[in-house]
Amino acid sequence: MSLLDEGLRTPAGPSRNRPHGNVAVLRWFILLLFGILTIRLADMQILRGEEFAQRSLENHIVRTNILPTRGLITDRNGEPLVKNVGLYSATVVPEQLPASQEARYRIYLRLQELIGVSPLEVQTKVDEAIAAGRDYIAIRVATNLPREAALALEEASADLPGVSLEVTPGREYIAGPAFSHILGYIGPQTAEEAKLLREKGYQLNEPVGKDGIEAWYESDLRGQIGYTAAEQNAEGRLITLLGREDPVPGNTVRLNIDAGLQAYVADLLERSMPDNGTGWGDAKQAAAVVMNAKTGQVYALVSIPTYDNNIYADAERRAAELERIQNDTVTYTLLNKALSPAAPGSTFKLVTATAGLAEGSITPNTAFQIGCSLDIKGENDVIYNYPDWRCHNMVMDVRSAIAWSSNVFFFLTAGGDLERQRGLGKDVETSGAVLAAWARKFGFGKPTGIDLYGESAGRVPDPQWKRRTKVGEGFAPGENEWFLGDTYNSAIGQGDVLATPLQIARMTAAIANGGTLPVPHIADAVIGPDGKVVRTIAPEGERVDVDPQWLQVVREGMLGSVQYGAGARAASSKTTVAGKTGTAEFFKPDGTKSQHAWFTGFAPYNDPEIVVTVYFDIGVGGDKAAPVAGKIFEYFMEHVQP
Amino acid sequence: MTSVTIGGLGRSRAGASFWRGWDRFDYVMVAAALALVGCGLALIHSGSRPWYDGPITSLASPVAKQALFAAVGIAVMLGVSRIDYHRFLHFAWLLYGLSILSLLALFALGSTAYGSTRWFDLGPVQVQPSEFAKVAAILCLARFFSEHGGDARDLRSLLLSMAVVAPLAGLVFVQPDLGTSIVFGGIWLGIVVIAGANRSHLLVMGAIFLAILPFAWTFAIADYQVERVAVLVDPNEDPLDAGYNVLQSQIALGSGQLFGKGYMQGDQTQLEYLKVSTKDFIFSLLGEEFGFAGAMVVFGLFILLLMRGVRAAQLAGDTAGQLIAVGITMLILMQTFINVAVNVSLFPVTGIPLPFVSQGGSSLVSLFASLGLLQSIVMRHRSYRQT
Repeated sequence: MSLLDEGLRTPAGPSRNRPHGNVAVLRWFILLLFGILTIRLADMQILRGEEFAQRSLENHIVRTNILPTRGLITDRNGEPLVKNVGLYSATVVPEQLPASQEARYRIYLRLQELIGVSPLEVQTKVDEAIAAGRDYIAIRVATNLPREAALALEEASADLPGVSLEVTPGREYIAGPAFSHILGYIGPQTAEEAKLLREKGYQLNEPVGKDGIEAWYESDLRGQIGYTAAEQNAEGRLITLLGREDPVPGNTVRLNIDAGLQAYVADLLERSMPDNGTGWGDAKQAAAVVMNAKTGQVYALVSIPTYDNNIYADAERRAAELERIQNDTVTYTLLNKALSPAAPGSTFKLVTATAGLAEGSITPNTAFQIGCSLDIKGENDVIYNYPDWRCHNMVMDVRSAIAWSSNVFFFLTAGGDLERQRGLGKDVETSGAVLAAWARKFGFGKPTGIDLYGESAGRVPDPQWKRRTKVGEGFAPGENEWFLGDTYNSAIGQGDVLATPLQIARMTAAIANGGTLPVPHIADAVIGPDGKVVRTIAPEGERVDVDPQWLQVVREGMLGSVQYGAGARAASSKTTVAGKTGTAEFFKPDGTKSQHAWFTGFAPYNDPEIVVTVYFDIGVGGDKAAPVAGKIFEYFMEHVQP
Repeated sequence: MTSVTIGGLGRSRAGASFWRGWDRFDYVMVAAALALVGCGLALIHSGSRPWYDGPITSLASPVAKQALFAAVGIAVMLGVSRIDYHRFLHFAWLLYGLSILSLLALFALGSTAYGSTRWFDLGPVQVQPSEFAKVAAILCLARFFSEHGGDARDLRSLLLSMAVVAPLAGLVFVQPDLGTSIVFGGIWLGIVVIAGANRSHLLVMGAIFLAILPFAWTFAIADYQVERVAVLVDPNEDPLDAGYNVLQSQIALGSGQLFGKGYMQGDQTQLEYLKVSTKDFIFSLLGEEFGFAGAMVVFGLFILLLMRGVRAAQLAGDTAGQLIAVGITMLILMQTFINVAVNVSLFPVTGIPLPFVSQGGSSLVSLFASLGLLQSIVMRHRSYRQT
């Protein structure tokens, strides 16, 4: 017997009996376990296979976006007003920093050497991000680095894990502060904006237009983002480039603005701010609008004081300047004065005159003997005295009343005298309502529709409005009634009437062009990168429902104003100017009385081309605003081709 | 007689005994195992591409190394199949003692990887004592039951048999290696069921086990195991850390769909998103590149191999042979099931290789040695057949 075969009778030799269990059970057990695995596999690979295949693709295909070049903004002659520049920022990704605090601090110290940021500040930012669970997102620790510092950082960043140089598209505004209110600026998205913009396909690091043309025409200027798609392995190394789509540069926006005119007007206004002997004091704020009288194309829109909108791109270094303009409660630098409301004063008499002629309270030949004031007998035989701004002592028709800017004539036109002369309506309240309706026809009380943000609607008071508003705390009972005085005040653009210089300019345009109220447009056309016009911003306007013959009468009055009346100083040797002065009384915050200076006019008289509206917060219309308007007409005729 | 060496026996009886029993040698079983090794070589070649680009013939090549180990394994299998399995039963308790000692020695001398101490690092090769211990446990159980009337019907022998396996399973568990301790449990369970354990005994023990489980969860299971179980529930919870492997293996497998992405075309593998793609996660690589169809082919090979193991148990001439065959079949079945279950996210990550397929020399050699034992049982069944 072989040891290897039968008969081995060691203690571990063959046992006598067979086990009792059924070995065949094992077969079923094997099939059961593989059955479980097969079902699971079928679920993963067949039922959910598509989903996993998609995730596999997402796993290793990375998309890197390429930001497009932002479109330029030019003036009407194609002169660029902005320049695209690269903005260099230093970023830190906390996750990629070394683990030890000491090694991190060494990096912070090196950053201080390179770009001058305080290590503590960086540390705080990093710790905050880690605490908030955002440690995989890059933090900007310094922005707007000078070129040399950026290059030094780029070189050193190879040895500084987690630190890198980021280049984002930026703007340099090269045309000067005169353009800041129009152009606006671009900046990083705010948290709220980011949510909305993401849906439009924006990248988080993509700057976005914040104000002015930059914001209004954002979708034209932005262009289309491009990308590269590449296969990436688990370590993040790129293996192959799968695809690439180049970004499409943004379109250029060509403005109606004439750069030379805009700069000239801004400079002219600045120089005219000081009080030239009238005793009212220096003007603090001013605005001017130069607009095509027919199409509403805006050639110049100036707001004083101006500011440098390059501040925003360099907010950290110029924090003091930014702080100053943002918290300016005296002149409200950031507010566009051309779009902000003020009492329009006598410029509003153009509306009253048109309303009177159209409603028949006066005719072109109606004449009143105008003295120093108007006395009206009230209910209890009390005599109310409504003064004119000076003693005219002459017989006036509507033309000379516009020319000399008589208050009394327009009191009578709008409200009558409760005896022989009727007003615009059958009673005091109706007259007020009718005047308000005419103001609205000329675009008051609502935004003009200009392509800029932040436009004010102004205010047109009427009996209903007064009833609604002047109640409650601070008002006596019955103070919300509409009195004759309210109609009188409205008739001369005082009291509760508020209008923006742009609204005044628009009304002037409608009178000049025979009744079309144009929508002002800063931009003229959107031009593609190839130089072809993508779309033009077509002139729009609405007809004012008025017989043109009444407007002709008003125009004659305006011509008189410049030729012999209160607006004489707006006259120009280059063209025939017609216009209207305005001097609106108001109470300064300290309670003292002061007045706004206005002039609005058009030229040439026979075929109106442009409208000029000038506003100073302090001054007399005929003395302060009219000469400035005259110079603007002159400059325009000489230098600008409409 | 027992002192005679095997080599000496071979020489003295070579002429007469070498051809004995070869007609009963189970070629189908070996063919199934070799087919699995072949699949493994192909998959290792694909999975090692990202980190090995030398020639396939070089000894540094993981494919060549694996092939070499397979050759060694086959030699060991043939050698073992020549020896009567009763010889191994004779040394069962000695092997058992050595297993305990080497598992204890691990705590002092072992190498730690992935937070677990499972290996002795002996220069070029790593030795995993638990591989050895599993075979020792099978032999001890077989010997125990063959000496105790061949059955586990009385509670005393059932509990004693458990006491034999428990120290091994416990030492493996604290390495920690949850998977292998479950393999021990599976081997024990398979053997006692075949040895005729009373069903009600098993049910009561199962109930007690389930009752203890929550305490084990709290006190005995290491944090990493809790974490691995947790990420199994939702791998997206922590995609970059503990859940990473689970998530990537799901994506690899799932994205293979019905027919796979093609050989060496699996993005998950080739771009190294799938870690240890030639070892513990080789099944995910299979699923990604060959799809559901490829997985079914491999399942078929495993089922064939295991059925041949069951056949060996049925043919076995005596209790000891039958129980050894059952134990080895359970060993391969449990390892295969746990490994695939890990790959399809039915089981937490435990570090058990896929038998015959995964890259790794000591596992391959010991598996072939186990097959040798099965062959030894098949080749001698007639001699020990009792009526």
